[in-house]
Amino acid sequence: MILRFSGVAEDRETVAAGLRRRDPELLDLLIEQYQYRLFRYLLYLTGSRETAEDLFQETWIRVLDRGRQYDGKAKFETWLFAIGRHLAIDLQRRKTPQSLDSPDEPDLIAQEPSAFEQFSAGEREAQVHQSLGRLKAVYREVLLLRFQEDLTLEEIASVLEAPVPTVKARLYRGLEALRKEFGEAGYAG
Amino acid sequence: MPDDVHARAKDLIARQLVEGISASEREWLERHLGACRECAEVAETTEQAIRNLRSIPVALPPDLASRTQFRVYVRTQSMQPAGYHGWTLWVAFALCWMLGVASAPLVWRGFEWFGHFAGVPSLVLKLAFGLWWGVPAAIAAGIWTLEKRRIEEG
Repeated sequence: MILRFSGVAEDRETVAAGLRRRDPELLDLLIEQYQYRLFRYLLYLTGSRETAEDLFQETWIRVLDRGRQYDGKAKFETWLFAIGRHLAIDLQRRKTPQSLDSPDEPDLIAQEPSAFEQFSAGEREAQVHQSLGRLKAVYREVLLLRFQEDLTLEEIASVLEAPVPTVKARLYRGLEALRKEFGEAGYAG
Repeated sequence: MPDDVHARAKDLIARQLVEGISASEREWLERHLGACRECAEVAETTEQAIRNLRSIPVALPPDLASRTQFRVYVRTQSMQPAGYHGWTLWVAFALCWMLGVASAPLVWRGFEWFGHFAGVPSLVLKLAFGLWWGVPAAIAAGIWTLEKRRIEEG
C-alpha cells in the first residue's frame, strides 16, 4: 500500500518496495510529484530546456531500471537527483571527452547566458538566470540544492557523491560568487 | 574597526546560511551589522541573492509528466520477459491436473501390481502413491513461486 496524502507518496520504505515491484501507479505518482523539482534541477545543471527534458525522461527510465537500488534509507529526491546528475555528466562527457580528466568537477553546463534567457518569463527572471549562468556549474549546483531544494549538507554530499567538507567549501565559494554577481547586477528583488 | 572584525562578520553571514551559527555568534553579528554599514550591505546583498534564487520560477514543458509516464509505461511493458504469460502457466497446470485425475486409477493399479509382485506392505504403497502425486506438484508450485518473484523483482 502506498501512503498517499493529497496524492503524494510519503513513505520511503513503501516507495522502495514499489520501485522493486516496478509499480506503475507509484511511478506515475512520483513523476507527477517530482516533475517540477527534477526538471528545474536539470535545467540549471544543463542550461538547456531540450537537454533537461531529455534527461528528465531518461532519469525516470533509469529509476524504473534501477529501482531495486533504492533502499528507502535516504530521501527519494536525493537518489533521484543523483541519477539525474549522473546522466547529465555522462552526456557532457560524451560531448566533451576531455572533461573525463576532472571527474570531481565536471563542467556540467554550456556557460552561455543566452541559454538561460530562453526560459525566463520576465526581465527580472532573465537577469537572475543570467547571473546564475555566469556562475561556475559546481557552485551553481550546490547553491540550488541548498537554497532551492533545501537539502541538508549531508544530502547534497550524497547527491554529489562528495565529502561534506567539499560541499561546504563549494557552498561558501558559490555564495560569495553569487553575492558578487547579484551585487554587480545591481537589481533588487 | 579592525579588518578581522569585518572578516569575522562576513564569515558569519555566510556560515549562518550554510551550516548555521550559535546564538552568541548571531547576537554578535547583529550588533556588528547595526554598527557597520559595509557589512550590513554584504548581509543584505547575500540575503537578496538567496531570495532571488528561491523565487525564480521555471515553466515546465507541456505534458512533460504525461509523456514521461507513457515512456515509462512502454518501458515497463518491454521489460516483461519474452514468452512469459501467467495464463499459459495456469492452463498448463489445469491440463496436468486433469490428466493426473484421469490417470489416477491406472497409476494405482500399477502400484498395486508392483506391491503384490515385490511384497511391499499396503501402507508403504499408499505413501508412495501419495508422494507420486504430491512431490511433482510441490516442485511445480515452488518453481512457479520462484519464477514469479524473479519476474516481479526484475
